[in-house]
Parts: sequence; structure tokens; C-alpha cells
Amino acid sequence: MPQHIKRLIIAFSLFLALFLVLRQVLRPESFGELGHFRAKAIPENAMRPMHYTVTDSCTKCHGGIRSEKDKGFHKNLKCEVCHGPGLKHATYAGQFKNGALPDSLKLYKPGERKDCIICHQLNAARIKIQFDTINTTMIHQIDPVKHNPGDPDTKEAFKCIDCHSPHQP
Amino acid sequence: MKKEKTKLSRRDFFSAGTALAGGVAITSVLAGYDGLLFAAVTPNAKGIWYGIGIDINKCIGCGKCANACKLENNVPQAPFYFRSWVEQYTIKNDGSIVVESPNGGIDGFKQSVPDKDIFKSFFVPKMCNHCAKSPCTQVCPVGATFETEEGIVLVDEKYCIGCRYCVQACPYGCRYIHPDKGTVDKCTLCFHRLKKGLKPACFEICPTKARIFGDLNDPGSEINYFLKNHNCMVIKPNLNTGSKLFYNALNPEVR
Ligand code: HEC
Ligand code: HEC
Ligand code: HEC
Ligand code: HEC
Repeated sequence: MPQHIKRLIIAFSLFLALFLVLRQVLRPESFGELGHFRAKAIPENAMRPMHYTVTDSCTKCHGGIRSEKDKGFHKNLKCEVCHGPGLKHATYAGQFKNGALPDSLKLYKPGERKDCIICHQLNAARIKIQFDTINTTMIHQIDPVKHNPGDPDTKEAFKCIDCHSPHQP
Repeated sequence: MKKEKTKLSRRDFFSAGTALAGGVAITSVLAGYDGLLFAAVTPNAKGIWYGIGIDINKCIGCGKCANACKLENNVPQAPFYFRSWVEQYTIKNDGSIVVESPNGGIDGFKQSVPDKDIFKSFFVPKMCNHCAKSPCTQVCPVGATFETEEGIVLVDEKYCIGCRYCVQACPYGCRYIHPDKGTVDKCTLCFHRLKKGLKPACFEICPTKARIFGDLNDPGSEINYFLKNHNCMVIKPNLNTGSKLFYNALNPEVR
């Protein structure tokens, strides 16, 4: 075998060995088990904390409100769409007697006008005609400036919940 | 080296060669077209293969999905980080189009164009399309983003180097760099909720059931019912990304 080929073979095998060593050191654990990624990243993604729960878990303690809501126009609304993420509340609130609920477990009570307007404000993009009875949801809309803004005499602003019950509007 | 005598006749060689070339040509042509049968593609023939459906007719633009997404996934509240958001498209009578998304729709929409100028207007909720042939996973130089067996595109936060290449590659603009972590962040279809048997936060919260998701491989699933009963379309089908987010009543103006 010619001299230069021998040297090349030595050089190449040195490089290959170096590459294999480096690869062993640098390659993270579980990389390539399922594809070109760390297989462990999947359970890591699945371990993230939750904040929202499901509406059924509120029923255990607030069954009355649930059955009230299910009779009204807001029957499709989940409790958490108005009250915000409630997993922590649903898990720990049971330990507290009436009125003793610490602030950190309290949920938002959306009583202001803006909280209702977010869904009910008049907007051209909200479909107003029900094209077919099954599939299209119609949302009743109001003009917040005209719809009972406040007491005509005292000019005191009304809240929507002064007249509409939020759970059975 | 000794030259080996070939046993192939010239005729055999040409017929085999042509058959091979023809086969390659036909498969490559056909492979390009499976993107047109977008709803029928099930690269994972067994097991779960998630798909998403959004009914634009039902969306009332309350932005509660965008809000729930931020709270569930600890997305920064600043108005330019979104995993999921809502846009309002307004097509004016003169043909021009206004697209708005004030804070992703979280604070609600205020109609900015007067009624008399509007030809039509609608809301388009947007989120990761969880493409089956996702451009974003293909460009990652370190393998920090990938598709799971269920067809969900995830990010490996520990391994991401924050090079922003995938942010550029996503044709739907569904990725952002998390300002605190310095790594890329995107919709995981609430993978942590799916694994506990719950719906993703935005699907759970939607007040009008405009959002549907489920297993495309299961003939009885909600998403298959939705796809059977509506003429659905994906955004930018021409890019052949294998998008699995199917919109009902999608206007071609939506980009
Ligand atoms: C384990 C029982 C339990 C569960 C489950 C539960 N709650 Fe409560 N909740 C309570 C208790 C106890 C209070 C305090 C009542 C009081 O102070 O009068 C409360 C109070 C509230 C309040 C009023 C807070 C305030 O500021 O006065 C809201 C709103 C509420 N819950 C919503 C929810 C929602 C939404 C869910 C479902 C995600 C839920 N709860 C699940 C026990 C529960
Ligand atoms: C349309 C939005 C909306 C939905 C949906 C909704 N709530 Fe409420 N809820 C409110 C508002 C607004 C208040 C505050 C009422 C008040 O201050 O008088 C409230 C108050 C409450 C309270 C406190 C009651 C009190 O007297 O202080 C509880 C408990 C509660 N909600 C539970 C629920 C549960 C459980 C559900 C799901 C079945 C639910 N809510 C769904 C808007 C909503
Ligand atoms: C998350 C969106 C959402 C929020 C927030 C919300 N609503 Fe509704 N509301 C709906 C939907 C959906 C319906 C059912 C469709 C319909 O009938 O318009 C509805 C129905 C109603 C109706 C019945 C309309 C009718 O005559 O048919 C009233 C009244 C109403 N809501 C009042 C309120 C009030 C008051 C608040 C604030 C506490 C509120 N809504 C908050 C979504 C919402
Ligand atoms: C002074 C009491 C009062 C206040 C305050 C009030 N409403 Fe009403 N609302 C009514 C009455 C009465 C009706 C039924 C008659 C009508 O359609 O105007 C009604 C009807 C509605 C309807 C159904 C409209 C339809 O097309 O059928 C919606 C939606 C509604 N209100 C939402 C709201 C919201 C959101 C607010 C807060 C911004 C609000 N209301 C504040 C008294 C009130």
C-alpha cells in the first residue's frame, strides 16, 4: 500500500474516533430513541402544571348554581369562562367554612359591564341571523352605550348584573 | 482490479432502468398530491392522530380562548406573545380588507369600520396547525422540536438553543421566543391536559363550541363528525404543510 494512503487511513480513523467520542459525550440522554429528538422531552411536556379544570368539578360544591345555569341561556358557558382558572380553587376551597376563603383562592367575579360586553357587544362579525337551526350559534347583542347605561335621574351607572342574573340571564 | 463481466443484456438493462425511472417519477408525482386529500391523510395509521376543527360561523370573538391559553400555559401577558389568538377580518364594500387583533382579542373587539362600509366581517381564531409535515420541525438544527406519534408538534425547552429559525419557518406565525426563558414556545395542544384525559384549555372554555378536536383515526370522534358535516379547508393549502387545523367557512382572504 502506498505511503500516502496509509497516512490518510490513520488520519481518518483518528477523526472517526474523535467524532464517536465527542458524539457520545455531547449527545443528550434518550436522544434518538423515537426520532431526531430527546424522547424524555415528551414526558417533560406532559408534566407541566394545569390551571384550568372542568366545569363538572365545580358541580360538587356549587351544584345549585350549576343547575340554575343549565336552565338558562348561559347553559353552554363553562364556569371558568367567566370566573377564570379554577383548579386551585376547586382543589383547596373545600377546607374553608363560609366566608373564610383566603384571597389567594378566590376566583374573579366578573360583575362589571366590560365583562359581559366582551361577548355581547354589537359587532358586525357576530352572526345575527340563524341560518340553520342546528349549527349556527346566534349571540344576542346589545349596544352598551344605549342598553340601560345607568339611572336616567341620578346618572349612576348600572351593572349588567343589576338586572340580569349572570347564571340565568 | 479484475473487471467483472455483467450478465445483463442490453435489452434487460434498458427495460429495468425504464421501469425504475417510471416508478420513481410516478411515486414522486403522487406523493405531492396527498396534500390535496388533506382530511384523509393519516400518516399514523394506528393509534391516536389528533386533528382540530374551528367553526368560523360559530365564533363570537370573545377572545376567551386566547385568554385561557395564556393563563393555562403561563404565556407572558404582554400583547405580542401568543400561542392562540383571534383576528377580526373585515372586507369593505370597496374590496379592501382590514385585519385587526387588538391584544389577540383578549380584551374583546371594538368594531372599527362603520356598518355601512362593511361587505362582510368575521372572526378567525388562530393557533398552531400541528402540521403533519411541519416546516418548523424540519429546520431545527438541534432536534429540539418534533412531532409526537399523536401528531402534536412539541418543543424541547431544555434543548432549544433559541436560534429563531423555526419562528421564521412557520407559515402561520404560531411560534414566539419566550422573553424569560430565551427558548421558543408554542401551542402544545395542552399536551399536559390531554395526557390527563382533559380537553385543551381553549376547547374547554369556548362558549359556543366553535372549537372541536379529536382523533382523526377514530371514525366516531367529534372531529370526524365535524369534517363529514362541513366543507372544511386549511389555511395556505398550497404550502402542503399537512396542516391538521380544519376551518369551516374559511374565507380565501384569510392568510
Ligand atoms: C371543594 C368544593 C369547591 C369546589 C369544587 C369549587 N368551589 Fe367555589 N367555593 C367553595 C367555597 C367553600 C367557597 C367560599 C364560599 C363562601 O365564602 O361563602 C367558594 C366560593 C366560590 C366563588 C365566590 C368567591 C368569592 O369571591 O366570593 C366563586 C366565584 C366560585 N367559588 C367558583 C367556583 C368555580 C368556577 C368552581 C369550579 C372550577 C368552583 N368554585 C369549585 C368551594 C368549592
Ligand atoms: C356569565 C358568566 C358567568 C358564568 C358562566 C358563571 N358565573 Fe358565577 N358569577 C358570575 C358573576 C358576574 C358573579 C358575581 C355575582 C354578584 O356579584 O352578585 C358570579 C358569582 C358566583 C359565585 C358567588 C356567588 C355569590 O353569591 O357571591 C359563585 C359561587 C359562582 N358564581 C359559581 C359559578 C359556577 C359554579 C358556575 C358554573 C356552573 C358559574 N359561576 C358560572 C358570572 C358567571
Ligand atoms: C363567554 C361569553 C359570554 C359572557 C362573558 C356573557 N355571556 Fe351572556 N350569553 C352568551 C351566550 C353564548 C349566550 C346564548 C346565546 C344567546 O342567546 O344569545 C348568552 C345569552 C345571554 C342572554 C340571553 C339573551 C336572550 O334573550 O336570548 C343574556 C340576557 C345574557 N347572555 C346576559 C349576559 C350578562 C348580563 C353577562 C355578564 C354577567 C353575560 N351575558 C356574559 C355568552 C356570554
Ligand atoms: C336596567 C336593567 C338592565 C341593565 C342594567 C342591563 N339590561 Fe340587558 N336587558 C334588560 C331587559 C329588560 C331586557 C329585555 C328587553 C330588551 O330586549 O330590551 C334586556 C335584554 C338583554 C339582552 C337580550 C337582547 C335581545 O336582543 O334579546 C342582552 C344580550 C342583554 N340584555 C345584555 C345586557 C348586558 C351585557 C348588560 C350590561 C352591559 C345589560 N344587559 C344591562 C335590562 C337590563
